[in-house]
Amino acid sequence: MKNVILLTTDALRKDTLGYYGNKDKLTPFVDSLQDKCIKFTNAQSIGPYTQASFPGILTSSYYLEYGRGKNLSPKRTLISEVLQESGITTAGFHSNPYLCDFFGWNRGWDVFYDSMDEDVKSEVPYIKGDGINKKVGEWLSFYTKGKEYKPFFLWLHYMDVHEPYVPERKYLDMVDPSINLTQNEMFNLFKSIVLKRDVSDERTVKLLKKLYDAHVRETDDYIKKFFGTLEKLNLLRDSIIIITSDHGDEFSEHNGLSHDGKMYSELIDIPFFVYDYDKAKGEVCDTLISNIDISPTIVHLFGLGKVKNFEGYSLFPLGDYPKKGCFGEAIGKIGQKEKDTDKPVYFYRESDFKIIYRESSNIWEMYNLKKDPKEVNNIIDTSSMADDMKEKLNSRKPQVKE
Amino acid sequence: MNEEVEKKCIELVEKSKEVVRETFEKFKPLEIAITWTGGKDSTTNLWIIRQVCLEDNIDLPQVITIDEGDAFPEITDFLIKISKKWNIDLKWLCNFDVLKCCQSHLGNTVKVKDLNERNQTELKRIGFKEGSFTFEAESYTGNHLMKTVVLNQFVEENNIKALFMAIRRDEQSARKSDEYFIKKEGGPLMPEHTRISPILHFTERDIWNNIKLHNIPYCPLYKIGYRSLGARTTSNPMEIGMPAWEQDIENTPERAGRRQDKEKSMDRLRKLGYM
Repeated sequence: MKNVILLTTDALRKDTLGYYGNKDKLTPFVDSLQDKCIKFTNAQSIGPYTQASFPGILTSSYYLEYGRGKNLSPKRTLISEVLQESGITTAGFHSNPYLCDFFGWNRGWDVFYDSMDEDVKSEVPYIKGDGINKKVGEWLSFYTKGKEYKPFFLWLHYMDVHEPYVPERKYLDMVDPSINLTQNEMFNLFKSIVLKRDVSDERTVKLLKKLYDAHVRETDDYIKKFFGTLEKLNLLRDSIIIITSDHGDEFSEHNGLSHDGKMYSELIDIPFFVYDYDKAKGEVCDTLISNIDISPTIVHLFGLGKVKNFEGYSLFPLGDYPKKGCFGEAIGKIGQKEKDTDKPVYFYRESDFKIIYRESSNIWEMYNLKKDPKEVNNIIDTSSMADDMKEKLNSRKPQVKE
Repeated sequence: MNEEVEKKCIELVEKSKEVVRETFEKFKPLEIAITWTGGKDSTTNLWIIRQVCLEDNIDLPQVITIDEGDAFPEITDFLIKISKKWNIDLKWLCNFDVLKCCQSHLGNTVKVKDLNERNQTELKRIGFKEGSFTFEAESYTGNHLMKTVVLNQFVEENNIKALFMAIRRDEQSARKSDEYFIKKEGGPLMPEHTRISPILHFTERDIWNNIKLHNIPYCPLYKIGYRSLGARTTSNPMEIGMPAWEQDIENTPERAGRRQDKEKSMDRLRKLGYM
C-alpha cells in the first residue's frame, strides 16, 4: 500500500503554474512532473479563504454548516482521525494560525507541527517552506529510514505565497530584475495597499503581482527540495502525492486584493494534480471537482470504507466519480476585518455556469465561464438557466447543522 | 440543580458502578490499580470506584499517580490532601532516571547513553535514533518515557492485570469507538493487561454536574479558568478568571488551553493581515 502525501500551498493561484498555461516560467519544477501526474483542470475550492476552504480539504464538509468561527467543530471528522483509527500513521506540518492546535485542528495526528511556538517577524509571519521541509524531512527520516514502517499520511502546507509579499532578491530577480525595492518598502506596500485593499493605482497592483509571482517561484523551489527528500529516502515510488492550494489571490480582477469573501475564479479556481510514479501518465481530467473530494479520495487510496460525515466523493477510480455541480460558502467579508454583521456569500457551479448569491446586498450574479472567464458580464437577468441555477443554489444553502 | 440533571447524573454514576462491579468480578483487588492524575475526570473516577468499594465492602485497589516532571504544585497539593482525606496510600511513580539525566530541569538536553538500559531500550522501541533529546513537557519522546514507560514498568513489576483509567468518549474523536474494557496485548516491555474506563459515557458537562451534585473535591485551578490540566508549561486557562463549569463547554474545545497560547495564534493572524 502506498503512502499518501497531501501538499497544499496557501493562496496559490492556479494560473501562475506553467503546468496550467502560465508563460512566465514561475514553476519549472512542478511543470517537470507532468508526465507522472494526473492533472485536474476544473478544480474548485469550497471557499475563497483558508477558514472557508480547509474544512473542505481536511473534513470534507462545508464551512458554515457548523456555524462560523475559528474553532473546528468537534462534530466534524478530520481525515487524520479516520486514518489514525485504522492504524495509518498521520503527520501534519504547517504554519497557518487558522489551522493550529489552539483552534482544534490537532485531532487524530500522531505528529502535528503548527509552528505556533516559533517566533516570526512581521515581514515573514510564518515558517518558510524550507523550514517546513526541514521538519518534515526530520520526521520522515526518523519514521522510515532503514526499517519497515506502517503506511503514513503526511500533510504539509506552505505559506510562502501568502501576503505580505516580501520576496528575497534572488527570487525577485527571476521574475523582474528591474524591481528595486527594499524589504522594508515591500512591507510598507503590504500595509498601505494590500491591507487597505487600495486598487486605485494599476501600476502598484501590477507590482504587487510581481512580488507575488516571485514567491510562487520560491515555492516551486521548496516543492523541488521536498521531492528531493522523498527521493533520497526512497519514498517517491511508494507515495501518491496530491498537490493543490486552498484558494487563490486577487489582484483587482473584481476591485479587490488579497482573498476576501468573494467567489470569483481568481479565488475559487485551484491547481490540483496527483503524482503517482507508477500509475499516472500525464492524463488530463476536465471533470468539475471540488476540494471537498480530497478526504474521500485519501480514504479510498488507503483502501478504507466510506466515511459517513464526508460529503465529497473519491476522485478515483476516475470513471466512478459522479458528474455534478460544485458548491461553496463563506462569510462575505470585504477588507481586513470580518465583522459580526457580515453575511454569507454562496456559489454554485455546474459545467460552465456559475451562480453567486451575496446575502448582505441580496445580489445574484451569474456567469458563463466559457464565454466570460473574467466574470464581468452578469447574465442573471438574461440567462435561461438562471432560475434552474438559483434553485440549485437555494437548495444547497443554508445547511447549518447544530 | 434541576431534577432532570440530577436524575441524569445518578444514572451515569450507576452505569459507571456497573462497569466497576464487573471489573471486581473478573479481577482480584490486588491485581487492579487505579490511575489518578488529580484532574476532574480521574478524581470523579476514583470517587466512583471508592463508593463501590465502600458499598460492597471490597478493599480499594492501589492508587497510582505519575509525576511527569512538570506538575502544577496545586495538583500535587490536591493529591496529598485528598489521599489523606480518603485514607489512600497513594503511590507516586516517576521515571527518576530521566529526571536525573536532565537534572529535573525542563529544557535540558538528555543524552541517550546516560539513560539506564530500560529507558534506552524503550527509545529504540519507538524508533528514536538520535543521540539526545530535549526534556520537554508533552513532547513525543518525553511523554513516552515519563508516562508510558513508567506505567508499563509498574504494571509489570506488580503483576497488575487491570488498570482503571479516566477516559471519556467526548475527549477526542479518536475515542469515539472505545469500549469499557480494552485488552492490551502483551509485547516486549508492555505486559498484557486490561484497561477499564468506567466514566467513558460522561461528557465534560456531566463531570461538572456530578461534581456539584455529590460535592466531589476538585483542584482549585479549575475555579480560576483551567479546563484541562496537563503539564504545567503546556496548560493554560481557557478563560482567565472564569470557573471551568461556567465556560461555554459545549462550544469551546476542552484541551485548547493547553499547548497553545491564544495570544500567539491571534498575533499570527494579525501579521497575516486577517484582523
